[in-house]
Amino acid sequence: MVIIALGFSMAIMISIPAGIVANQEATQSLTENFNNTMSNMQEQINKTATLIECRASSGQSMYPGAPSGRPPFGFGREEVFINETVGNEIRSIEGVKDVVPFLEKSSEETTSETINTPRGSFTISRPLYTITGVCLNSSFIDNYSVLPTNRTAGRNLCEGDSGVLLMSLNLTQYFGVAVGDTVQINGESFTVVGVYNSTGQGRTETRTVYMDLSDAQTITGETGNVSRFDVYADDVSDVDGIAEVINAAFSELTVTTYKDRLSQLQTTQEMYESTLENAQSTLDQTQATATQEIGVAVVATSLIVLFVMLYTVRERTREIGTFKAIGFSNWSVMSQFVLEGILISSVAGVVGIAIGSVAAPVLSSLLLPHVSLFGGSSQDRFGPVSGTTASQTAVASLNPQLVLLAFGVAILLGALGSLYPAWRAAKIRPAEAMRYE
Amino acid sequence: MSESILKTEKLIKIYEMGKRKIPALSGVDLQVNKGEFIAIMGPSGSGKTTLLNVLGCLDTATSGTMTLNGIDVAKLPEKKLYSIRRNEIGFIFQTFNLFPYLNARENVELPMECTKKSKGERRKRARGLLEMVGLSGREEHKPHKLSAGEQQRVAIARALANDPAIVLADEPTGNLDTENKHEIVRLLGRLNINQGTTIVMVTHDDQVASHTERILFLNDGKITREKQGLHLMKKKLICPHCGSRIQPTDVKCSSCRKKL
Repeated sequence: MVIIALGFSMAIMISIPAGIVANQEATQSLTENFNNTMSNMQEQINKTATLIECRASSGQSMYPGAPSGRPPFGFGREEVFINETVGNEIRSIEGVKDVVPFLEKSSEETTSETINTPRGSFTISRPLYTITGVCLNSSFIDNYSVLPTNRTAGRNLCEGDSGVLLMSLNLTQYFGVAVGDTVQINGESFTVVGVYNSTGQGRTETRTVYMDLSDAQTITGETGNVSRFDVYADDVSDVDGIAEVINAAFSELTVTTYKDRLSQLQTTQEMYESTLENAQSTLDQTQATATQEIGVAVVATSLIVLFVMLYTVRERTREIGTFKAIGFSNWSVMSQFVLEGILISSVAGVVGIAIGSVAAPVLSSLLLPHVSLFGGSSQDRFGPVSGTTASQTAVASLNPQLVLLAFGVAILLGALGSLYPAWRAAKIRPAEAMRYE
Repeated sequence: MSESILKTEKLIKIYEMGKRKIPALSGVDLQVNKGEFIAIMGPSGSGKTTLLNVLGCLDTATSGTMTLNGIDVAKLPEKKLYSIRRNEIGFIFQTFNLFPYLNARENVELPMECTKKSKGERRKRARGLLEMVGLSGREEHKPHKLSAGEQQRVAIARALANDPAIVLADEPTGNLDTENKHEIVRLLGRLNINQGTTIVMVTHDDQVASHTERILFLNDGKITREKQGLHLMKKKLICPHCGSRIQPTDVKCSSCRKKL
């Protein structure tokens, strides 16, 4: 009974640092994740300083966290298309260097996805993947980021390609295909020539197939239509003027420039900073709470050892008298009781570690506030999908250092708690001890 | 002249219960010679156990002198007394006071743990002592597996572990039946004759006391009277029952066949 009480106290003691470690790791991971995202976004914006994105839609991009202001896959995007000849008109504006057309359309197949939020879980249905048609002009491919570059197998698309596609890794796993295999997209057969990794650092995970623009227009029934133009200016100083002209001439296009994207970045940064601040504040709060709770657990453990050992000394008074009668010194008697205290708390330490290894997540979540991790918990049949606004909390678990530390603390508390009872045992006068009933 | 192993002069012990002072020993003058077997008798509250505790350095006298094996123990501080208890004194208690979680051999080895004897030497001596008290083959038994008489034999072996100058026994037969009582007294007698062990025994039992060579009567904290016991005759190799000559190793008298 005493061992279990001590073990439980030890388990609390071990669960609290486990919770702190989990929170520290969560905050660190949050910081790293945010820093990566910010640096990637900054890099992307710098690279595309001369880029004016013209999207055929009625509204502003609602997804500042996504790269290039594109919405994360499947989140309620309104699919609007525009005739590709508009591109020729834009090309004729002074200062425009190139106009690269894209067609992005959701697949007919859909998937259901479970999203976990602090308020509960819900399921949504969304398209399985996006078909992206790219104008495979070698000058576009060489000069601009029109195709993914982080390939894991096969080759990239090139000028003149038709009937072939570049597929994201998660989709190859879903379809069970590899480079060289054939896959049906909207009823047409395509050969997979390359696979790219869809989870880059700080980027949202996408499920996309890239193919020639004409092929995409044919299989989606959007012949002659595109969904977006990437307009490149000759110089950064021309960007504002070109954007103004496009805005005036084509009301059906939503124009996003370098400045807009910088503003979006700033908003994102502010949001991230606020999240980090919250995480840091939670961490500080956790550490303050943990200090108090560990203090209470240490005092409780020491008191249990103290009372157990005091009781033991009382119960064994005659035995102590006998020890002294046969020649044991005060020091021998004292060290024997301290050793017994250490033994009891060591056994309790093992019990505590056993309880803690099972109950640390529950105990630490009951005793400590926890840092919320941004994103990473939504799940569909492909596995976890990052980049959503869902959140999860840091989960405490024991590591070997914590286990060793806990065992060390158990021994120390055993020694501390039994010190006074052992001293009392040593001070008992043998004749009085022998009279004790 | 016999060599004195224990000598007290005007030994006084007063217990203080708040403001009340209760005298337990009121000037005990006692001399125990080497190789003697003495019984101390007296009514309840006469100070027998107090005297034994003071003689055994379990308690200190309020005043008076006490010399044990040439050491003036009355003036020694508590932290020095434990080595006197360990090396010079062996204790036998009425309730045996064996450690229940140790077996017979380990109980006997325990007083030797604070000495320089190696583990092997301790084990060998413990086995030898257990054999001497007639417990061969019972060395590995825990106390609860032994009879009361056997437990007291283990306690006697433990008292002899460090080859003490004197053995102090506090009512050693008090918790034993008649047969075991006589066995233990005879064992103590044999140890006294064969090993030359000096024994001071507190008892209230006339029969038990009669097996010693000198009986001291304690009354109101003072030795009031003294008489000879039958054991002296055994030491002079005369059967105390029929007066025939006996040998030191005899267990029974060859003439009257009575147990010695």
